[in-house]
Amino acid sequence: MSWRVSCQNGCSLRLMGRSGCSAPRLFMNLAPKLLVWLLSGGIFFGCFSARADNTPDSDIRQKLVQAIQSDGQAQQQLLNELAESGAKIVHDVLTAWIREGVYLYDGPDGSKIPVILDDQLDPEGKARAIRIIDGQFIKDASGKELRFASADLNTAETDMRLRSSVQQSMDTLALSAPNPEERNSAVLKLGNSQKPRYIPILQARLTKETVTAVRRSIDEAIALLQLADPDPKMEIAAAQHLAELKSIGALANIKSLMNKPGCPLDVVKACRGAVQVIDNHIAFVNFIGTIFHGLSLGSILLVVALGLAITFGLMGIINMAHGEMIAVGAYTCYVVQNIFGSGFGFSITLPISFGGKMIQFGLHIPGLNATGWWFESYFLFAIPLSFLMAALAGLAIERTVIRFLYRRPLESLLATWGISLVMQQLFRMVFGANNVQVNSPSWLLGHFSLNDVTFDYNRVFVIVFAILIVIGTWLLLTKTPLGLLIRAVMQNRAMASSLGVRTARVNMLTFSFGSGLAGLAGAFLSQIGNVGPSLGQTYIVDSFMTVVLGGVGSIVGTVCSAFGIGTADEVLQQTTGSPVTGKIVVLVGIILFLQWKPGGLFASRSRSLD
Amino acid sequence: MSMGGQQFILMLEGVNKTFDGFKAISDLNFYMDEGELRVIIGPNGAGKSTMMDLITGRTQPDSGKIEFGADTDLTRMNEYQINRLGIGRKFQTPSVYIYHSVFENLLLSLKGPRSVFSSLFHRTTPAQRDRIGEVLHTVGLTERSDWKAGSLSHGQKQWLEIGMLIAQDPKLLLVDEPAAGMSDEETRKTGELLVSLAGRHSVIVIEHDMTFVRQLARKVTVLHQGTVLCEGTVDQVQNNERVIEVYLGRKKKEKEKGER
Amino acid sequence: MRPAESKTEKWGLLTVALIMVVLLPSLNAFTPAGTFLHVSNFSINLYGKYLCYAILAISVDLLWGYTGMLSLGQALFFTLGGYMMGMYLMRMIGNLGQYHQPIPDFLVFLGWGTLPTFWKPFSSFPFAILMAFLLPGVVAAIFGFLAFHSRIRGVYFSILTQALTYAACLLFFRNSLLLGGNNGFTDFKFILGYDLRSPGTQRGLYIATALALVLVYLGCRWLSRTKFGLVQQAIRDSENRVLFSGYAAGYYKLFVFVLCAFIAALGGILYVPQVGIINPGEMGTEKSLEAVVWVAVGGRGTLIGPVLGAIFINALKSWTTRAYPDMWLLILGTLFILVTVFMPKGIVGLPGQLRSLHGRFRPKSAPAPAASTEPKPEMAKTK
Repeated sequence: MSWRVSCQNGCSLRLMGRSGCSAPRLFMNLAPKLLVWLLSGGIFFGCFSARADNTPDSDIRQKLVQAIQSDGQAQQQLLNELAESGAKIVHDVLTAWIREGVYLYDGPDGSKIPVILDDQLDPEGKARAIRIIDGQFIKDASGKELRFASADLNTAETDMRLRSSVQQSMDTLALSAPNPEERNSAVLKLGNSQKPRYIPILQARLTKETVTAVRRSIDEAIALLQLADPDPKMEIAAAQHLAELKSIGALANIKSLMNKPGCPLDVVKACRGAVQVIDNHIAFVNFIGTIFHGLSLGSILLVVALGLAITFGLMGIINMAHGEMIAVGAYTCYVVQNIFGSGFGFSITLPISFGGKMIQFGLHIPGLNATGWWFESYFLFAIPLSFLMAALAGLAIERTVIRFLYRRPLESLLATWGISLVMQQLFRMVFGANNVQVNSPSWLLGHFSLNDVTFDYNRVFVIVFAILIVIGTWLLLTKTPLGLLIRAVMQNRAMASSLGVRTARVNMLTFSFGSGLAGLAGAFLSQIGNVGPSLGQTYIVDSFMTVVLGGVGSIVGTVCSAFGIGTADEVLQQTTGSPVTGKIVVLVGIILFLQWKPGGLFASRSRSLD
Repeated sequence: MSMGGQQFILMLEGVNKTFDGFKAISDLNFYMDEGELRVIIGPNGAGKSTMMDLITGRTQPDSGKIEFGADTDLTRMNEYQINRLGIGRKFQTPSVYIYHSVFENLLLSLKGPRSVFSSLFHRTTPAQRDRIGEVLHTVGLTERSDWKAGSLSHGQKQWLEIGMLIAQDPKLLLVDEPAAGMSDEETRKTGELLVSLAGRHSVIVIEHDMTFVRQLARKVTVLHQGTVLCEGTVDQVQNNERVIEVYLGRKKKEKEKGER
Repeated sequence: MRPAESKTEKWGLLTVALIMVVLLPSLNAFTPAGTFLHVSNFSINLYGKYLCYAILAISVDLLWGYTGMLSLGQALFFTLGGYMMGMYLMRMIGNLGQYHQPIPDFLVFLGWGTLPTFWKPFSSFPFAILMAFLLPGVVAAIFGFLAFHSRIRGVYFSILTQALTYAACLLFFRNSLLLGGNNGFTDFKFILGYDLRSPGTQRGLYIATALALVLVYLGCRWLSRTKFGLVQQAIRDSENRVLFSGYAAGYYKLFVFVLCAFIAALGGILYVPQVGIINPGEMGTEKSLEAVVWVAVGGRGTLIGPVLGAIFINALKSWTTRAYPDMWLLILGTLFILVTVFMPKGIVGLPGQLRSLHGRFRPKSAPAPAASTEPKPEMAKTK
């Protein structure tokens, strides 16, 4: 998706004849993604750069006109040249041509002017004619635009031979498209065509191609086409080469080749070897893909559970409203998005009348009506705000309810569940009972592939951010004075208090911080899943299990168990084929694991325990 | 110490226990005769409470032998199994059932069947009432029989817990700081009680207060860094240079720290 | 043991029992509709539901208030009992379902032509009842054994029971379990040959429920006064002391846990024919928590508390959801917060709380009975 956006910009610029600007503009489009790549460790294959084919627009148009008007060898020559240009206008005109959509308009001076008709028809079915030479409309002497029905004009003649060479030029044309992804898909199309006549075209392209990923595709496509060659030697070489390339796309072709009756034995053998290699590769790709999904799921769990590890593990508060803190974060994203867009408002009518009037209150925040990149950046503002809002909500809860319950963990569970109910209902009243739409900024959509494994940007983003949050939390707890106070208060409230620590304040800050982390998790979840009033409920059991499994009070344990549960969940979903069964197995697994290690993965084995 | 033919009631040999890299007990050897009253002293962190935990099955040793009586291996048993063998324990901080009456506390501790079904159809016999009355008298709580244990004073709770121990009629009593939080008079009475229990029962007392230790006036074992530093009479121990160095020399500090 | 309760309590109990078991159904059956004393069929049905919830609440309290184990899985046992009963009721529909097949509609819908084997014995009422107790009992026994064996206590126990319930809930939502998926069972027609829609049958079910509640109440009352009850409460207050006194606390807890699963299942068995539907939604963790609310509001650690709480909250719920449907969760949540923070002893403890508030200036003397407002000291204080 993101690619498409940037390419369209590139193309339109080129059509306007300002191709020089495309590189910096593209870089700007790429910048956020580059950031993601850099954060993810900089592992990335050959970076796509804008292809600089500087043939000026007017030359191309000139050649098109010539091609239409000439014939024989010259025409073929021109078509080949045009095919190299990769320009969109060539594609448009050639497409029109083979559909008999190019016309020859008799100019006032007797010349034949090649035109195409505009897409927009007037009520009489007539359209304006566009001159191919300069893209201008045909006008009469008075400057009025002329309109034609297709029958009014002479069609530029085509015959079968011409159509076939135009078609071939178009196939090649796509190979020269400015956008590497378009080139890539054109290559794949040719590779799958089973027509060995494309081999020379592809080979020619290979000498010019600079982008590694596309070169690899061309290589693969050539081998794939060679597989269809009648020569067994060629077939064997192709199969071996495809095995080297670990081409997943070639698997079906190789299989059908070796199953063809009368296939020579050594070809079958080579094919079998290739199938083996590719099958292994597929298993590997699926495995890595599953692990990647598991890690991203684990990252969300991690951020959710990290907040819980602080409120539950350090403070001993069972915060059942932790899930609602996630929802606060997610809804904050929604509100920020709407403020950047058309605005946000709600109104609530209480079912209680007061002096004959229904009590009603509401709020309307006008929108900024931002567009483009300004709008897309809303998420950058939403992240800190979702932390802040959830932290404020946590603060309010701590001050009003939880501070009475520090010595009664089981009761904190009950009271916070009450809070959770109230908050869910408030969400319903303010945002409606249905899920709300949070659009991901375009720079989080899309994906890249590495060695055939697909990595979605939003998942990479979540993993990277989760790691940053863990590091941040760890630093906060271990390296700052506040962290020292937090640890002191959590270990022994009375002692810390008698040493002059303002425990109430530390409690308050710690709880808000834990809640704020949940808010951050909510911001991520808004990019990956649905945002609704019961969003938090989906995660609360999982995150408690994460903390318990990791060992209460251990941040390292929480990290391990979050990634462990996330990956196990994903792997089991793949192997059992059902998300629910996977989840049940994970839950039962955790219960059984706690039999073996009741204190969790990283139990603090001190003798002062309980 | 009587090595050789006689049977020990409790024997710890080569016991080690590590918590998160901290060596709480290291190569501990401890022998105790039947009917003996033994006092264990040692600075904080010497491993006194851990030793109790090891004997009563609350924690398992990393290595070493813990045997009770003839050849009962305690290391593989859990708390209630060990208790049923006849080892009773009084905790450092009084541990009584605060919502039960004093009478009920003792009833629950009384020697007898402990299974779920016997408890469902249990009827308190007059003999049991008499026994409870006796224990109440011993620990001086006769008048408080119907009080909720939670409303007793700290010292009374200590007494109640000792009473609960007596009601179990164990062979071996482990008593952790019985005099903590008691007045001098109460402390003296506690000492007398413990002395009177010795002989019929074997008793291990952990104590900090040296006057109290002197009152018990029996063999003293000094623990330091999880191992036995020295053993002997109070005088011997108090004159031992190493003990003075590690323990008595720091006695004042210890007192300030109090107990966790 | 415990000083005998006053005679008034006994008489009070008897009166309430008689009102519930005899008076209300009589008023329903023998007074003409529309008169002042008449109790409508609708009300009888509603009361029946409340009393089922009261049975569930007792099971929660026996665990939480008496043994110190906050189980967030009681709704699971309630629903399991209900499901077994539901299977029997589904069989009793016969071929009167929408598809007019001899097997339940949802099975036809899933493409089954014949009854799956495990469904067959559920045509028998005694078998269904047996299973309704056995299945929750076995689940509780296995889970309890594992949990208590590894000494999972306090909050961890709560979280694990919650996870268990959640897993079971997910399981029951699956169609492939062949228990109706997320629609569960409904459209019941007959029980033991009686028409479920007739007022007489509903009245009979109400009486059965009221009797069951009285029996459960008396049973738990007896239990709490045995030595077992003493041990049980001792475990709540100081589990270590119990262990070091030679009691295998784990087995006591297991016994109570399984017993409470039976009690909850009994509530579920009676609930399904009166409400006419059972689905996995009843199994969710929030249902278990709701039952905990009833107990907390009524007053835990007493037997009358959970009954009062269940009836009070559900009556409130019935009224609110009709009058102000949007406000119900707000009210429930707020009530819960207030009760937990300010009324740790619930409705039952309220008089005592007021008294102690009133008499605060008086010097503390004598053994404070139940009126102490002190939060319970944490049980793991022993070392």
